[in-house]
Amino acid sequence: MLALVARRLMTAVPTLLAIILASFFLMRLAPGGPFDGERPLPPETQAALQAAYGLDKPLWEQAWIYVSRLVQGDFGPSLVYRDFTVSELVAQGLPISLTLGGLAIILALFIGISAGLFAAVQAGKAADKAIMMFATVATALPTFVTGPALALFFGLWLGLLPVSGTGEGWSWLIMPVVALALPVSGAIAKLTRAGLATVLKQDHIRTAKARGLPETKILFKHGLRPALVPVASYLGPAAAGLLTGAVVVETVFGLPGLGRYFVQGALNRDYPLVLGVVTLYAALIILFNLFADLIYGWLDPRMREG
Amino acid sequence: MKALLKRDHWPLWVVFLVIALALILPAVLPWTYDQIDWDAVRAPAFSGSHIFGTDEIGRDRLARLAAGTRVTLTVAIAAALVSLVVGIAWGATAGWIGGKVDEVMMRFVDALYALPFMFIVILLMVIFGRSILLVFVGIGLVEWLTMARVVRGQVMALKQRPFILAAEAAGSPPLTIILKHILPNIAGVALAYLMLTVPQVVMVESFLSFLGLGVQEPLTSLGILVKEGADDMDMTPLGLMLPGGLLVILLVCLTIEGERLRDIYS
Repeated sequence: MLALVARRLMTAVPTLLAIILASFFLMRLAPGGPFDGERPLPPETQAALQAAYGLDKPLWEQAWIYVSRLVQGDFGPSLVYRDFTVSELVAQGLPISLTLGGLAIILALFIGISAGLFAAVQAGKAADKAIMMFATVATALPTFVTGPALALFFGLWLGLLPVSGTGEGWSWLIMPVVALALPVSGAIAKLTRAGLATVLKQDHIRTAKARGLPETKILFKHGLRPALVPVASYLGPAAAGLLTGAVVVETVFGLPGLGRYFVQGALNRDYPLVLGVVTLYAALIILFNLFADLIYGWLDPRMREG
Repeated sequence: MKALLKRDHWPLWVVFLVIALALILPAVLPWTYDQIDWDAVRAPAFSGSHIFGTDEIGRDRLARLAAGTRVTLTVAIAAALVSLVVGIAWGATAGWIGGKVDEVMMRFVDALYALPFMFIVILLMVIFGRSILLVFVGIGLVEWLTMARVVRGQVMALKQRPFILAAEAAGSPPLTIILKHILPNIAGVALAYLMLTVPQVVMVESFLSFLGLGVQEPLTSLGILVKEGADDMDMTPLGLMLPGGLLVILLVCLTIEGERLRDIYS
């Protein structure tokens, strides 16, 4: 187990570095810069600004400076939100995005696994077909449609939930989290259902039945655990999907999370801000994949060695 | 073809119906998608010649829906084809050569799977301007991974079959074997996954357009229409419900049909 973690962390560093460098050079290939405002600045001001932020140095040197500062935990200054460092902006946005994503994945796992379980027990019956139909529809629901649709229905028409912003209490979280969780829960329901269908046909289940164990015990103790292996391997892509979804949801509901900073930063050519957010996203996804691998090993002991 | 005519392939027929409407309507309607009717701003449905009314600057909703659907589906099909070509080339090469090459090529695919790829695409869009060509090249480059994995698996399995070994023994060059003997045999599976790629691509395209990074005005797409509708939903909810509903219907139908095809072939 420890060896797996160590090996994963070893490959994580070069992967992260590759992502950072790729984004760094991609962004600099672009025409336009962070200081092109509505009115063009005088050339000497431009030059002074470029020099102040070290943008006049050769690209490789800038990349080196960026990475070596990053290692010390310094994301650099934001070029557009002039009074803030990227670390400060990220420190504001990260908790919101993490709360959204974390709650969404918990909700999706809860709904998905229970729906899949129920469908598998009812296999072949009307309830099974209905649940699987719902699951297919749910996976095809894009957050940028469900988000505004929820806001329209529950926010504007029924007036039950706040349409935008973080506001008081926690009611502002409901709609963004539901919009994010829906497609993921559909996918998890399908995977759970398919996993259980295969597992329940296996010998150890038949043995358990032959020994006269109660149905629920067979289902939860012997059936569910191996059936959740495909769900665990889906968690990595799901996390990536949630982060992308969060960009939309944060835009739709006006939440100051990481995703909003990413889109704003990209549009404004705020190089350090975009790089900082991309780095964080990549690190989060890598961490989550590692976490998913650990769950995988717990669910299926044969995987621990591999 | 006969199998497709069966009644339970209704999702496919819904998609065909939407495509047909998107192609025919612009020729029949009295309004074009970018034409402004100054006398009817935010007109309700069924007012005069505007069947679904007009948007916040007086453009005919139905005409815009048809035009947007056309752009979205064109981009989707083009990008799905890009992913098909890249995926087959990559997967077939890895599967055919095998060994170390296969190992490296598939590790690369695994690594890309775990990346926040959407973000690189967003960066690409911001950086290289927002041309429609780039939109589908960018999306195609993201969506080829699954295709590559599937094709590789198929090629690995086929490689050991007697008719391939026979072709090799007879001295056919690898490229000929791949093109003549392998590709026809993986066409079914590839088609199924192509079918599943299309809704993925529709989703990505609309996502980019929704953020204002995809297709640009005066062109329109379902994503842009959803965005416009969302911005104006407190005044005219129809603007959100029509493109949003159509998008969901298309995505659901394509997904159901794609999954069915995939289950048949695997």
